[in-house]
Amino acid sequence: MADTMTIKLVFSGGLELLFGNERNQSVLIPPLVPSDNSTHSSPSSSPSTPSSHNDIPSTGETKAADLEYLIYHLRDHLLKERPELFMENGTIRPGILVLINNTDWELEGEGSYQLCNNDEIVFISTLHGG
Amino acid sequence: MSSCGNPATEEQALMPRRLKFGKSKDCVRCRLKPGNIVIRHAVYCKECFTPIVDMKFRKALEPSVNARAGTSKRPKLKASGNLCLAFSGGLGSSITLDIVHNTYFSSRPPLDDLGKPRGGTNHPRNVSVWPSCLVCYVEVCGAFAGMHDRTEDIRSVVERYPSFEFVPLRIEDAFDGSWWTKVSGSNITPQVWLELSKEGLITDGLHVASKVTDLTPVEAMRSYLSSLPTQTAISSALQNLTRVLILHTAHSRGSSHLLFGSSLTSISISLLSSISQGGGYAIREELQEEWAPVAASGSKPNNVLRVIRPLRDVTAKECAIYAWWNNISVVGRDKQRRAILGIAALTKNFVVGLEKDYPSTVSTIARTCEKLEPKDVPSGQCRLCKRPMQSAIQEWKDRISIRSYSDDKLAADLAHIPSPCRGNLDTRTPPQVPPLLALTDFLCYSCHTTLTSRSSRGVKQSAPGVSSATPLPIWVADRGLHEDGLIGDGTRRKIPKEEMLDIVANFLINDQELRGMRYLQRFL
Repeated sequence: MADTMTIKLVFSGGLELLFGNERNQSVLIPPLVPSDNSTHSSPSSSPSTPSSHNDIPSTGETKAADLEYLIYHLRDHLLKERPELFMENGTIRPGILVLINNTDWELEGEGSYQLCNNDEIVFISTLHGG
Repeated sequence: MSSCGNPATEEQALMPRRLKFGKSKDCVRCRLKPGNIVIRHAVYCKECFTPIVDMKFRKALEPSVNARAGTSKRPKLKASGNLCLAFSGGLGSSITLDIVHNTYFSSRPPLDDLGKPRGGTNHPRNVSVWPSCLVCYVEVCGAFAGMHDRTEDIRSVVERYPSFEFVPLRIEDAFDGSWWTKVSGSNITPQVWLELSKEGLITDGLHVASKVTDLTPVEAMRSYLSSLPTQTAISSALQNLTRVLILHTAHSRGSSHLLFGSSLTSISISLLSSISQGGGYAIREELQEEWAPVAASGSKPNNVLRVIRPLRDVTAKECAIYAWWNNISVVGRDKQRRAILGIAALTKNFVVGLEKDYPSTVSTIARTCEKLEPKDVPSGQCRLCKRPMQSAIQEWKDRISIRSYSDDKLAADLAHIPSPCRGNLDTRTPPQVPPLLALTDFLCYSCHTTLTSRSSRGVKQSAPGVSSATPLPIWVADRGLHEDGLIGDGTRRKIPKEEMLDIVANFLINDQELRGMRYLQRFL
């Protein structure tokens, strides 16, 4: 079984205010996640639970952990307030720029980009205007 | 979902998602490195991206630097006054601050192999284009209860650029006579007040009054904002107050150029928002303008201030990436400020969503507006927003609106409405309206709408003890509004010289006081 992946996160442009004012964070993501992006059995959400939570979930289909799942995970486990300012219609809210290892996520397939260990994902809000 | 009936197709086939960039993921500029960012379907690498934004900035700014265009294709840049930057702490103005410093005020220009400043004779870094630079910031916490004062946070950002002078302002300065004296040189400017209805809102007639009060500037500003009819009006009023404060400050400090950090996205938002509130006449001024305070009759014309938005070709996405890759810190805005509802906020949500899916359409909004201009010559400058004003606004409003229900046919049409519901419909013949409504002829259509347009949800409930009048920004009374006799009972009259002397008597120094001051000067 592949190990859990460490994903480094950076929030900028005021987005850090929604995540407890912490610009730099990291999360642990399993290699396989539910296809419906359900985040109930995520290892980084409950560190005190037994290691069996790293196993494949027993219900539903699975997929390789991708950026779409990461966004759901951040909304459900790291976001402190105002989820509607982060996610909209199942994806990142318009006006928030996503960089995967310093590259625009539009070049990497957006939500379908498959996460790798030690990836750095940067979320920048462009809504501060002039 | 119904089938098209074609047996050759797969029933569950989905339309492939359209790529947001061209065929190749390599940089379109250098064609050597893989791309890092997609800007309107074009792919750029990190190294090529920053110079592109710098070039867009300079192309938008430099043609307007010299007072006269001249005949040279690449003239030496030399401005007639100093530079003023309007800084909000947002993304665009933070980038503007950084680019202006690095391009025009850096004291250590890069050198070539011979030890000379790099860039050739006409390169802006080798010449002092502007002798100095002011950075104006307007603190708005006075308008919102509980908002944090960010003046010192902003000061710490500006202090990282030692060539810049920080000029902090406050939104309530618009109601402060001492600030107006500093920027205009006028010692005596009476406060103009607008009469309010029983609901505490500004009346359609815009009747002005003269009042002496001990309200502080903050209290006067809050009274003004609370008398506005909608959230849209409050948002619009704050934008106008901020802009006019900066305009007057920049002009009074000898600036020849004033830069705003509005990105292409912000400009598109403000254009749509302004047009939807009746500001179409000043659409060109939203993009770029040459502004000067209207001079009093008999005095020489004021120097012109060129207001430029050098990021007008740079989208919000490009600004965000530029700030990230160049380590430009952005202070940002308070959450309460961003939560203001109204047309401006709704337009912003719409345009930002448009930029995500159809990025080229945001540019189309600005480009289309650039081609528009009003048909006729302005009849003057609006006293409230200081923008060009069209003529005959009141006549046009009279033609398109119902002013009373006294018309016989209209009264017959309203007969089907139950009596209890007809309480607000006054079908009596209205009293004779004075031929000249006090402030109407001095406001543009947009400002008139801001002050009087009611919400479709009905009027707000008035608080107990609501005031009968509200103060207007101090500049409304400039250049003789009082002298024209508009302050009083709403009718025009010429104030006799003796009456004018009575009004200003308390401000005049008599001979005895003058002798006393001269005596004290000997000891200083």
